[in-house]
Amino acid sequence: MTVATPSARRAAVQLRHRRSARRLSKRQLADLREAVTLAQGIGDDRGYQYWAGIHGLPNPQYCRHGDPLFLPWHRAYLYFFEKALQDRVPGVTLPWWDWRDHSEALPAAYARARTEEGRKNPLASSPIQPAGRRQPNEKRTWRQPGDPSWLPSAEEVAQVRRNRDYFTFQNQLESIHNGVHGFVGGTMGYVATSAYDPIFWAHHCMIDRVWYLWQLDHPGARLPAPYLDLALPPFPMTVRETLDVTALGYDYAAATAAVPGTR
Amino acid sequence: MVDRFRSKALELPDPEHAFDRVDLAFYGVDHSSATYEARIFIGAPRGLRRDAGPDHPAYAGSFYVFGHDRCYGEEGHCHVPEERDPFDLRLPHHLEPQAEVVTVTAAIERLVAGGKRKATVDVIARGPEGEAVKALEFSRLRLLTYR
Repeated sequence: MTVATPSARRAAVQLRHRRSARRLSKRQLADLREAVTLAQGIGDDRGYQYWAGIHGLPNPQYCRHGDPLFLPWHRAYLYFFEKALQDRVPGVTLPWWDWRDHSEALPAAYARARTEEGRKNPLASSPIQPAGRRQPNEKRTWRQPGDPSWLPSAEEVAQVRRNRDYFTFQNQLESIHNGVHGFVGGTMGYVATSAYDPIFWAHHCMIDRVWYLWQLDHPGARLPAPYLDLALPPFPMTVRETLDVTALGYDYAAATAAVPGTR
Repeated sequence: MVDRFRSKALELPDPEHAFDRVDLAFYGVDHSSATYEARIFIGAPRGLRRDAGPDHPAYAGSFYVFGHDRCYGEEGHCHVPEERDPFDLRLPHHLEPQAEVVTVTAAIERLVAGGKRKATVDVIARGPEGEAVKALEFSRLRLLTYR
């Protein structure tokens, strides 16, 4: 198995592509909304509330922040959540929110209260289970976008990607991540509740994408050996198993083109 | 916890030796309360305004803290152990203080080119609406020069 360096050479494997939230086709957006809606309707460990609760409330708050496991843990989290969505709508993938583009505060797919068909947009807000609330009356997620300067510029992201060692890269990318949480505000502004907001997943997909692009920039760069075989609870996955996104069945290529080979 | 901090003067890189990167590292940063931006200014005069930002000549960069808000467990749940058994293989406590590393090369280059040999570091903690946030707490600050 390929580890450490993501490899587009696994060409024989049918990868799924995570796409920009601003460039989803009507069908792709409809599939995502349907998957989230169906997951919201399930009250057990296949449902949206269960997955959102893993990050924060109810305790234990499994998420890793401020340490080198930040990126691997969230990559595993996205992977298993995406699998739960694919159980509802086969082939659906999580999109990424490119917050380097400040032309609109939030992607329209997530910002609009209603879909184009006039239905309630499941990406705009989510219920919060009673045990997941910071306050008893916080029954749904809410946002309060703040100072746009908290969103990173393209140059800031490029500077972070120029780091060659994992620790500094992770540290500075996590700081950008923190700023985006603070910018969205409301439910997203707190570790305990942030994953209930549907935009959490698009935000973290972008973080995961930047990590992937950094891996492409710096072949072989990764966490030091002592970290590689650490588990990432509650997920049955080690750090090493998160290093190659193509082994997890997805890619972030902006576009792909293929032609038949010799066979 | 405070909403602003001014350091003692830090020694800047020796102008006789070229450098290509300077990082400012904050160690032991608390993240148990609010989400905030820490705006960093190097070599600023006293009396820095609370709303000073990237257009200020002494602005060097920012880091952001994703706060845990408060403790959601019972008594002791968010108490970070002071000592750790070397055979304790569990992952660190979720509120273990963290480090923040901000690359401040351009700001240091300006100061050194201007003949400065020492400079103070100011940090202003702001919430998403620009409000003062008393959540800034860290144990040590270090300027790291690479050449």
